Amino acid sequence: MSTVVPTMRHVRGFDVVRPLSIGMLVFMMLPLVFLPLASIFIFGTSNGLDKFWAALMQPEAVFALKLSMATSFWATVFNVIFGLFAAYVLSRHNFWGRNALIVTISLPTAIPTAVAGFALLLLWGPYGTLGRFLTPHGFQLMFTAGAIILANIFVTFPLAFGVIKPVFDTMSRSLEEASATIGATRWQTFWHVTLPSLRGAIVSGALLTFARAVGEFGSTILVSGNLAGRTQTAPLYIFAKFNEGQIEAANAIAIVLALFSFLIFSVLFFARDWFDVD
Amino acid sequence: MKAKEQLVKERRVSAPSDNAPPPIATSVIGISKRFGKTGVLENINLEVAEGEVLVLLGASGSGKTTILRIIAGLEQPNTGRIELHGRDVTDLPARERGVGVIFQSYALFPKMTVEKNIGYGLRIRRRRRKEIRKTVDELLSLVQLEEHRKKYPSQLSGGQQQRVAIARTLAYKPEVLLFDEPFGALDTQTRTHLRREIRALLRRVNVPAVFITHDQEEALELGDRVAVINKGHIEQIGTPYEIYNHPATEYVATFLGAANILDAVVREGFIETECAQFPTQLDRQKFRPGDRVKVVFRPEDVSLSRTDFLKTDQLKLAPAHVEEVSFVGAYERLRLRLEPPGGADCAEGETPYYLTTETPENRPHSIIATRSKPEASSAQLHIGDRVIVAITSYTVLPSD
Repeated sequence: MSTVVPTMRHVRGFDVVRPLSIGMLVFMMLPLVFLPLASIFIFGTSNGLDKFWAALMQPEAVFALKLSMATSFWATVFNVIFGLFAAYVLSRHNFWGRNALIVTISLPTAIPTAVAGFALLLLWGPYGTLGRFLTPHGFQLMFTAGAIILANIFVTFPLAFGVIKPVFDTMSRSLEEASATIGATRWQTFWHVTLPSLRGAIVSGALLTFARAVGEFGSTILVSGNLAGRTQTAPLYIFAKFNEGQIEAANAIAIVLALFSFLIFSVLFFARDWFDVD
Repeated sequence: MKAKEQLVKERRVSAPSDNAPPPIATSVIGISKRFGKTGVLENINLEVAEGEVLVLLGASGSGKTTILRIIAGLEQPNTGRIELHGRDVTDLPARERGVGVIFQSYALFPKMTVEKNIGYGLRIRRRRRKEIRKTVDELLSLVQLEEHRKKYPSQLSGGQQQRVAIARTLAYKPEVLLFDEPFGALDTQTRTHLRREIRALLRRVNVPAVFITHDQEEALELGDRVAVINKGHIEQIGTPYEIYNHPATEYVATFLGAANILDAVVREGFIETECAQFPTQLDRQKFRPGDRVKVVFRPEDVSLSRTDFLKTDQLKLAPAHVEEVSFVGAYERLRLRLEPPGGADCAEGETPYYLTTETPENRPHSIIATRSKPEASSAQLHIGDRVIVAITSYTVLPSD
């Protein structure tokens, strides 16, 4: 009852703070977020849609987009499975060094991406710690699509884990115990009981990982070699075309990437509701 | 009147039945369990007969849940064995034991509908779809949830969820059902209602069951037998009637409701408390003259009268003064201060009379009596009145 009175007062009177604060928020976001995004679309389509389409259909551009999607896809597959496994181990078992492992898994987000790429080069590169033994045998991981996947895995390592682990932590143990007493094996319990409760977390973890991997630049430029039509991803293509002064070509890809991330984040926003229906 | 009723009941309990005893469904043999350095269970021995309901009654932390988890295979004992229908299952994992556990939270699978939940045990056993369908239909009608079959657990009430949980275990014909504080999360009214419902259901399906509870009323109503657990050991196992009226230990006496306890000494042919003497026949093996004992009796076993005239089944304890009268709904509750033979109030100093439950603060010189409504209104008592206190039923326990 007591809460009704102050709310009524707000409805009846005019609360200045409300429109003012909302307006201020939008105004602050305008130059920081809205206008930069808008200018991509305004500039990219200013010469007509056919110009935009032509720029997008350049073989190198198409290749760059496809490569970005493929490498991000495999990095996502790996990191979701790994994140699921890591979350399972770290929330179900308590052991010495558990916290150290959790911190280590989360570390890659804090490391500058250029440092990450550099670290991979130092390990796998022709003169790297492992690479110098492998290169003479004809095994060279760096400057291939494999290197891009590896870099993507590294920089997106903790994302899926970070979404899945809290769900594991809050999941009641008695569900799994109930399944066991009913007669299910560990695998059946995982498949029928544990996994369905993780659907929402897996989907949002995957989207987050994928979105982040598609946009990865700093580590990719170091490990990929940036060869157009061979190891050039979409962000690298934008950078290369920009350097060459082909702004329209760069812009076309930029629009695609921006739209793509809009799509992913709208799905992310609703993912929990769609996949966690009870 | 009361004593007669009890005698009849007692005879029925003690008379051996003509039929052969039902086979043992579950045996807990010499189970001990420690977590790290703290002992949780110590040499637990229990048996549950076919079709029987056994209630493990104990305070939280008494180890009763651990017993249940050990039977289910969710916890491993340090010593001892678990047998289900004579088969030693101690080393079998939970999934190979075939017991049904109804968890306190019900643990229904949230992403499965009611029928999927119930059919789960058969699906993972790879039964034919037709057979699963048939069993699920039967169970749905048994627990009266046919119209809810397509719903998810979160759309059901607590009682409905519990019925789904029971049906889910019945689907694979468990050797024994284990209920872990099944009514803990419900309000008193629903709890009483569900308790009766489950009792009726269990009689129908005739599956032996073990319940865990800390609620003495629940234990008395649900159990064919009740085991009172205290600090990891069994204080007493018996029928609800036995443990309520003939508690084996002081803990059992006080845990199962209010109890008056008087210190007394055994004499030849009678017992002497500081306020009274009364004749009694005690087991010569257990009690010898001069032994210190405790006389335990329940508030409802106290009868009060203004005159010295007593009925034959009543034992006169002492005169007393009414100290407090309170009306507690179904009955009237009186606190009485006993009067010693000498005249002044009985027993200052030591604590000859004390009450262990119902009153948190220790009232050393008083006993509690309850009277039914008609009794209370036909002979009204007020604070300060002098009455003769007699008891109709009591238990003598060794003093430790």
